[in-house]
Amino acid sequence: MQRRDFFKKAIVVAGSAAVGGSTIEAVETTHPIDNRKVSDIAFPEKRPLITYSDRPPLLESPREVFTSALTPNDLFFVRWHMPLIPTYINPNKFTISVNGLVEKEIEVSLQELKTQFNQVELTAVLQCGGNSRTAFKPMAGGIQWGIGAMGCARWRGVRLKDVLAKAGLKKEATYIGFNGEDKAVYNKTANFVRELNLEHLDDDIILAYKMNGEDLPYLNGYPLRLIIPGVYADSWIKMISNITVTKEKQDLHFMEHAYRIPDNSCECETPKNLFKKTKPIEEMNVNSIIGYPVTGTKVRDASDLVVRGVAFDSGHGIEKVQISIDGGQMWEDALLDDDREGKYAYRTFTYAFKPKSSGSLTIMCKATNKKGESQPFAKDVKWNHGGYKYNGIDEVTVEVV
Amino acid sequence: MTRFKKLLLTILISVSPLFAQVKGGITVPYIDFPMKEGKGMYSTKGKCNMCHSWGYTLNQGLQSKKFWQEKVMKMILIFKAPIEDKHIDEVVNYLFENYGNGELE
Repeated sequence: MQRRDFFKKAIVVAGSAAVGGSTIEAVETTHPIDNRKVSDIAFPEKRPLITYSDRPPLLESPREVFTSALTPNDLFFVRWHMPLIPTYINPNKFTISVNGLVEKEIEVSLQELKTQFNQVELTAVLQCGGNSRTAFKPMAGGIQWGIGAMGCARWRGVRLKDVLAKAGLKKEATYIGFNGEDKAVYNKTANFVRELNLEHLDDDIILAYKMNGEDLPYLNGYPLRLIIPGVYADSWIKMISNITVTKEKQDLHFMEHAYRIPDNSCECETPKNLFKKTKPIEEMNVNSIIGYPVTGTKVRDASDLVVRGVAFDSGHGIEKVQISIDGGQMWEDALLDDDREGKYAYRTFTYAFKPKSSGSLTIMCKATNKKGESQPFAKDVKWNHGGYKYNGIDEVTVEVV
Repeated sequence: MTRFKKLLLTILISVSPLFAQVKGGITVPYIDFPMKEGKGMYSTKGKCNMCHSWGYTLNQGLQSKKFWQEKVMKMILIFKAPIEDKHIDEVVNYLFENYGNGELE
């Protein structure tokens, strides 16, 4: 949709709402907001990022970041739930405890994690479930993210399975709960605890102490965080210090009420007709983002423009990325990288062409995974109350001069 | 290498301290998120900002009255915010009048 048309439509919608006579629900999806500037203040270990809050820190990466397979640590987005996060952790004293339905309750130090367990490394995308939430109209509740609440890193650590094995799971063990060191201001407020059904435990879930070869930045969960490749970020607990094994589900606000979508085939609903039954957001939708050029970039007529971006899904793998420069009528394959970072990582793509005529030119990208799933147009993404799992076809508009 | 040296080396490796890349921890900067002037601003400021920044509130976007009402109730019931019943309307009204989308629900 042209920008102009969108505003025209928005006015009509607003008008009908004001007179209150319309029975049509004004549900639509647009492109997420894409013109926010980075802050002039940098957070610790970060370059300046788009800043939504300092307490808790909420930082978004700008679009230009999404041209490489690995997101640099100092450009990696940040999202905490609790406002009090430890600002100093002594790595020589830090431990993670495992308790509950285990044969032997244990405390494992960082040093022990690094020396007494098999060390593993994998590359995986970390993406907030509410990434691109600004696409949803009416506005969904939650932080109004643009496209940059995501990143991809090489994580090094140990398998969660191995740490659990050291404690020994009892027969009736069913759920594992994870808690980090972040706290609310009031001690009556429950911690941000997440849990996993043991059925979902596999070799790829790790406790990571390194991110792209360095210690994790504090704001990304130093010194240890949970990595669950292929699923949205909500259970990737930061500064993880406790694992509790239970038989029954714990009663957890952040499991039972947050990060949930309609449990129907379209995962959709309308504001006046919310779908009662919900499920966790879990597996990531296939998605792709153009990192270069960005909207407003000026390029020369007939000069060689190389479009760059990243594509990913939940681990089925990216089959192809296509580019359209005519509003989505014709699509041409982009070149994909050699896939060396693995199935949970960004697949980078490039597409070179010569813009032919001057004026505005919109470039779109669309990814398809190996399962055959591909991205819908932004306007065809269905609404849900939390504004989760957006994966509309991305676009940028450059000026050809 | 003598046995003693070997032993010493083993001890040194096993107790070598871990260093974080940041010396002595971090300081998260304070960022000012100005509130819109309006009736109930000071009261709302005290109640919301004692736990989190105003950025966390205003970056929910312009929302309906029902949305703000539910958010305030969630803060009280789930996150145990100490907001007395008699102050709920004041906070909800401030939020809706200054960060509302004009819709009741």
